[in-house]
Amino acid sequence: MSMLQLAPTLDTANGRSVGLQRVVVALTVAVLFAGGGFLLHTEEQGQVIALLAAFVALFALGEKLPAGRRVAALCVAHPGTVNLTAAVMVLAIAAALREEHYTLLMMATVALFATAAAGLTLQMAFAGVPNFAGAAFFAVGSYVAAVLGTSGIPHLLVLVIAGLAAAVLGLLLLLPVLRTRGHYAALVTIAFGLLLRSFLEVNDVLGGPQGMKVPSFSLFGLSFSRVTEIGPYDVSFYLPYALAGCFLFALAFAVVRRLEFSFAGVALDAVRSDEVSASVFGLSIARWKATAFLMGNALIGVAGALYGMMNAFVNPNSANFGDSLIMLSILVLGGLGNLWGAVVASVVILVIPEKLQAIQEFRLVIFALLVIAILRFRPSGLMPRVTRDFSSFAKEG
Amino acid sequence: MSALLACNGLTMRFGGLTALDGVDIAVGKGETVGLVGPNGSGKTTFFNVLTGLYKPSSGAVRFAEADLFARSPQEIGRAGVARTFQRSRLMLDQTVFDNIAVGALGRLDLGLMTALVRRSRFRRQLSALVEQATALTRRFNPQIAANLFRPAGSFTMIDRRRIEICRALIGAPRLLLLDEPSAGMTHEETRQLMDDLLAFREEMPDLAIVLVEHEMDVIRRISDRCIVLNFGKKIFEGPFDALIADREVQTAYLGGGE
Ligand SMILES: Nc1ncnc2c1ncn2[C@@H]1O[C@H](COP(=O)(O)OP(=O)(O)OP(=O)(O)O)[C@@H](O)[C@H]1O
Ligand SMILES: [Mg+2]
Repeated sequence: MSMLQLAPTLDTANGRSVGLQRVVVALTVAVLFAGGGFLLHTEEQGQVIALLAAFVALFALGEKLPAGRRVAALCVAHPGTVNLTAAVMVLAIAAALREEHYTLLMMATVALFATAAAGLTLQMAFAGVPNFAGAAFFAVGSYVAAVLGTSGIPHLLVLVIAGLAAAVLGLLLLLPVLRTRGHYAALVTIAFGLLLRSFLEVNDVLGGPQGMKVPSFSLFGLSFSRVTEIGPYDVSFYLPYALAGCFLFALAFAVVRRLEFSFAGVALDAVRSDEVSASVFGLSIARWKATAFLMGNALIGVAGALYGMMNAFVNPNSANFGDSLIMLSILVLGGLGNLWGAVVASVVILVIPEKLQAIQEFRLVIFALLVIAILRFRPSGLMPRVTRDFSSFAKEG
Repeated sequence: MSALLACNGLTMRFGGLTALDGVDIAVGKGETVGLVGPNGSGKTTFFNVLTGLYKPSSGAVRFAEADLFARSPQEIGRAGVARTFQRSRLMLDQTVFDNIAVGALGRLDLGLMTALVRRSRFRRQLSALVEQATALTRRFNPQIAANLFRPAGSFTMIDRRRIEICRALIGAPRLLLLDEPSAGMTHEETRQLMDDLLAFREEMPDLAIVLVEHEMDVIRRISDRCIVLNFGKKIFEGPFDALIADREVQTAYLGGGE
């Protein structure tokens, strides 16, 4: 709402104040990313707690103070500036932390889980198709990387094939998912995840319970695992993974955003919110749910392939239900339909437990409490989806 | 002249209940038909059958020379039948524009390539649609046109009805089905809405309308011809004055019959 009320003032703003707005947006995003980068880097318990407190305080200010709300609205109004700043900050963080294996590993993990969350966003937030088997499709990607990684097929192509494989496997689910609704469709996907895991466990070709080794990703003949220096700088071999992961997320982000801001996005919203009126206005429910389900699984599969290559192995446990729930928690915590929310939530769910030794033992309890608290106090998540507003597009065109 | 819509012996059974019982209804091009009847007489069921939401048990439906009997809602929608619902079915947290756009999706390019790659093509379609939606909503209420990018949920009941009607009209249908557009509104609001509709009908002389309505005043002002349903059967067809005088209609409304 605040953003919508702001729109007219933005229109009438002259060039200079638009420039100023962009600076404010860029600074805000830069500060948030710098904080995130520092959180990834530091091991000091005091600093971790201080950072978290600072984030919570910033978030509360952005919510409660009119000035904070205005800054948040500016960020919504200038997505280009947000994206550019984010890209620059990611590069800066990667450069600054170039030698830290563990930090970069976490950065890549966050990026790849956020990419999977982008796939789930298409499915659950846009089309309203539940998917409780995210980790299973992620594992499919890893297994494809394991099987095809040594075959001589260029690894970029392997990533594409991994996406296609996850999408095709999703086809198996499509009929039952389209025929059922709500809880029942969710159950179908849960069953699929369990089945896939059992299948992987008994399948000797795929390594049985031990799983398989996955070769390192190599781009144009350069194997990521052999990257130890760039120019005069020593770097961790996780650096290229972190960058590739962020690049993949950027691609997924672009796909999701463009889809959202298109007539296909309107069609998906119509199908999700009311199948009866969507059908009366000529939309095929099956077509749109299938489109979102297949595209979403493809994104999850690609992310899973790169993840498998980074970790160098995959086993049936990768497809476990708990990890699927973690992906869903990322979606719910971040805010269904908001990919920046998914990034923040990935950090909260994947990084904070690693950083706070005090809570590590109680990880699951704290997750559970967190999700319950979110559902109770902020049901639309940390960063709820912003109402789509086509007005700026219409003017430019 | 053959009618735009011709239903013959249309029957819809729900288990033991016959909600539509051999109904014959024809609607000509540019005609406005008032459909009335007591609660539960089958008016909404008629719309639901006509728009493919229910599969009729028997009968025949011809629309613009095509056989639309038991077709899917999608096929029927694309053939040029649009409707509003008795209980509002808008996406309240989406903008007015997005809601109205849903009614135009049938003729827009929904391809993924256009969404993801050929953005300039999308932008052209978007600009054209914004113009159309602005022009259409302005006829009903300039305030809606001025706030096209606010959430539909932030509008009053009557404006939401108007938005729903605009969503049905933006696809340039040949037949418009309105299911109790005045439901839940005051007399004054109903009068306004009818003024809008009458004004609109002037501009689209070919559009056929079937209007379900409990308010007899509305029916009298708007309809060229009236049809009365009772227990799923057509018990009357003719001009409004004859309807008022009809004995069977009176008993249906005042009870006493059967
Ligand atoms: N999906 C359904 N399943 C079973 N019975 C139904 C269904 N839809 C409608 N009916 C029944 O069909 C009959 C006609 O209902 P309908 O909704 O068409 O009436 P109506 O004329 O629109 O009434 P109202 O003026 O109250 O809107 C009612 O007895 C209703 O209970
Ligand atoms: Mg009704």
